[in-house]
Amino acid sequence: MNKWLIPAVAAVALLSGCSSVQRGSIPVVDSGTAVSNSERISANGGFRQTTVKRPAQGQSQTQAIAQGDSGVVVMVPGAATTSTPISTTPITPGPITPGPIDTSPVQSAPINQGSYSMPSSPSGIPSASSGGLSADEQLDGPVLALLTTAQQQQASGDLNGASSSLERAQRVAPREPQVLYRLAQVRMSQGDAAQAEQFARRGLTLANGRPALQANLWELIGQAREKQGDSQGAALARQKAKVTL
Amino acid sequence: MTRTRTPRTPKKPPSKGLRPWLGWAIKLSLVALVVLAGFAVYLDAIVQEKFSGKRWTIPAKVYARPLELFVGQKLSRDDFLTELDALGYRRESVANGPGAASVNGNTVDLNTRGFQFYEGMEQAQPVRVRFSGDYVAELAGAKGSKLSVVRLEPLLIGGLYPKNLEDRILIKIDQVPPYLLETLVAVEDRDFYHHFGVSPKSIARAIWVNGSSGRMRQGGSTLTQQLVKNFYLTNERSLSRKLTEAMMALLLELHYDKPEILEAYLNEVFIGQDGQRAVHGFGLASQFFFSQPLAELKLHQVALLVGMVKGPSSYNPRRYPERALERRNLVLDVLQEQGVATAEQVEAAKKMPLGVTKRGSLADSSFPGFLDLVKRQLREDYRDEDLTEEGLRIFTSFDPILQMKAEASVNDTFKRLAGRKGSDDVEAAMVVTNPETGEVQAMIGSRQASFAGFNRALDAVRPIGSLIKPAVYLTALEKPSQYTLTSWLSDESFSVKGADGQVWKPQNYDRRSHGTVFLYQGLAHSYNLSTARLGLAVGVPNVLKTVERLGVTREFPAFPSMLLGAGGMTPIEVATMYQTLANGGFNTPMRGIRSVLTAEGEPLKRYPFQIQQRFDPASIYLIQSAMQRVMREGTGSSVYNVLPRTLTLAGKTGTSNDSRDSWFAGFSQDLLAVVWLGRDDNGKTPFTGATGALQVWTSFMRKADPLPLDMPQPDNIVQAWVDSRTGQGSDAGCPGAVQMPYIRGSEPPPGAACGGENPAESVMDWVKGWMN
Repeated sequence: MNKWLIPAVAAVALLSGCSSVQRGSIPVVDSGTAVSNSERISANGGFRQTTVKRPAQGQSQTQAIAQGDSGVVVMVPGAATTSTPISTTPITPGPITPGPIDTSPVQSAPINQGSYSMPSSPSGIPSASSGGLSADEQLDGPVLALLTTAQQQQASGDLNGASSSLERAQRVAPREPQVLYRLAQVRMSQGDAAQAEQFARRGLTLANGRPALQANLWELIGQAREKQGDSQGAALARQKAKVTL
Repeated sequence: MTRTRTPRTPKKPPSKGLRPWLGWAIKLSLVALVVLAGFAVYLDAIVQEKFSGKRWTIPAKVYARPLELFVGQKLSRDDFLTELDALGYRRESVANGPGAASVNGNTVDLNTRGFQFYEGMEQAQPVRVRFSGDYVAELAGAKGSKLSVVRLEPLLIGGLYPKNLEDRILIKIDQVPPYLLETLVAVEDRDFYHHFGVSPKSIARAIWVNGSSGRMRQGGSTLTQQLVKNFYLTNERSLSRKLTEAMMALLLELHYDKPEILEAYLNEVFIGQDGQRAVHGFGLASQFFFSQPLAELKLHQVALLVGMVKGPSSYNPRRYPERALERRNLVLDVLQEQGVATAEQVEAAKKMPLGVTKRGSLADSSFPGFLDLVKRQLREDYRDEDLTEEGLRIFTSFDPILQMKAEASVNDTFKRLAGRKGSDDVEAAMVVTNPETGEVQAMIGSRQASFAGFNRALDAVRPIGSLIKPAVYLTALEKPSQYTLTSWLSDESFSVKGADGQVWKPQNYDRRSHGTVFLYQGLAHSYNLSTARLGLAVGVPNVLKTVERLGVTREFPAFPSMLLGAGGMTPIEVATMYQTLANGGFNTPMRGIRSVLTAEGEPLKRYPFQIQQRFDPASIYLIQSAMQRVMREGTGSSVYNVLPRTLTLAGKTGTSNDSRDSWFAGFSQDLLAVVWLGRDDNGKTPFTGATGALQVWTSFMRKADPLPLDMPQPDNIVQAWVDSRTGQGSDAGCPGAVQMPYIRGSEPPPGAACGGENPAESVMDWVKGWMN
């Protein structure tokens, strides 16, 4: 049987010359890098892209605008702090009685996904801004850290990343209306005015006793309704924004 | 093949002196040589084609939620350690290097491993966590610096496997732990770095051994040959296959260098079987047996895995621990002999236990119910090939700790109720969600939670009985001018004639009527008569519309019997419905997946959090208040035999006709659970909602220890003092006065103050008021 091996080896030696690629230059293509619980640190190596169909990444990278022109409440380092404090008089916490809550909660306005434009100029509402917030608007710990991350991601145009970080913050502090407010803002930048309004509304149900934040939320609802083509609803919301302040 | 080519035979005249057969032999061998050459060309093409292309298809990997750590987080130390164990953290006296943890009373020091998430990279770092009670009291990083939030790496909970069920975690050769390569070479192929794919020395030895024993015993295969065999060839044992293997091994060595061949070997080799899934490669084997990343393995673990290559099933450390231990120690001896490890190292390694994860522990569990949900959601967006071949990483909301608690609750409760006749045939399903985020956290599709089959949580459509009632009452409470929690309802018997001429005559569970009751009492005690009357008054279609607004898209006929839950739903649909009740009237589509990354860690898709307000928070506040009464004084009150009264909960029991279905759905602030018990053949069970499903639910809530329900009071809600017997306005100081929430404007006019009453008597009156 060894007789067979000899010609085999010979043939191989003969033929390898013409059929081989150069040693060491193999186009190795793996279908995935390691996924286990340790190796992903180096997981971004120079592998080819997978050919999985890639769902659209949200309609609107282009709309990373209009942040900070609407009275940003969130106290995040590096956030837009364009306006000045409005009042130095202490806000009295006491019972607040805004008008009856909007009693038509189910979405009735036609959702206009098509052409919409951000208002080019800030609305006439004075911004409650970072400087003049009552103590209860000061965030700390994990929520602040995550909102800061989200802010940075948004600033660099990574709206999906910002969204994702904010949802993480929402899991950590599900009842913090500022997180919902920021989520609403990012949804707005992503072009999803309907969801922006919903998150702002959810924020309102959790923002009792925080008039500055309530005003911001109403203001955002106004913008969102404007975008959805509901100018009457928008006017109503802006009215509420004034009343709450 | 190139057989057809005619060989050019030399036309040398045969020498006269030689025997004629020699000439024939030369000719024949030349023909053979050419044929063989052609065959070699063909093999070479195969070798290169497969080795340089996509070598393996990788099933998508599914991950649990990463555990978040921050100060003030509700997390018990024991749950935290369970998670660490499942992630394969080594317990050491001083945490050293990624994947190590040391426990000192309430303080745990660990070195996280780092992970690529959708939002970005979580760095590996040292972390100190101090627990106080069931909360995280302190979180610090290196040198005591304060950390605000840290994520552990997520637990791998499964994959989406293709038909051939091969699974692997790809590794690179620079990611292997110390000793692995040396051990592999020492045990399987000592000449690896010196031969050209085949080792004449070992072949000779093999021939000798096989020849003397008369059977094929010793392989004499080099690592390269083993790789060729597994990678290109079948398992057949024949001479021609052996020759093909040798040729291909030579060809492989010709084209690729040793480290590349070794890396391919590390990823290809078969090391174990997990049910139908074949565990390939050291990367996955490390996860599968130790729940640790390969790079962290120590000498004794490396020796065990390498030892298993020879016979994955006969040396399976879970099934044959003694045999596996013996083999491991043999491997360690070889290492000492070969000078790979010192005598002391080998001695120390031999003292170590096998260290494989325990059966039934979190790391060694499967979660078919939840994975089924994930698969279904993914199939809406991806083709099957993408899921089974592209190595996608799926990040989910699955909470393994809650899942283990849910499974334990089902098991414990069945054990406790085993005495009941017929309980053996009862199946179970459970859905656990976070009402504040709309994420599914745990799921049980079968009483045997690890059994992958009919997923009752998603597919069992069963009559929901009284679980429908909150929708009836919510429909009424949305009309504050007509209904409040203290409106009077008649609980007298009645009958109606349906459109088809059939007479519907509902009955109470206790077959008695309860006269006139407050609206909230009808729900709390689950009275059928008053509920049906109320439902007919507000209109069956309106109730069904409420059900739809709560998030259930299933169509139901508008029969009066729908008011008492004759319509069927799946447990997950019930969870959707109650989710809207729990979350202030905001509906959220149930989500199990958060995001998907490609194999390279690139973001691919997100499943964003979406909400939609469907109800005014005030009416939700009222229905939650009534559902709290269910727990405090109604059909769910047994829950407080086990749980503390300070834990505010809301929920509803459900029992279908003849106790064929036992349901409970309820929630705290941060946890919602739906439990269903029943038989697959729809037979009678010994359980009502309260005696069956509620028991599982209670057991789960006790283990999960949730936050008390605390819905912020909407602006248009007022609390009014009313007389607990008449429902008329009263004063805080009056006997029998209780506080009830009303939508502003619907509260009864305030009553006059009462004189100094005997406080003891008023308490008695109060109690009596609730007993009636």
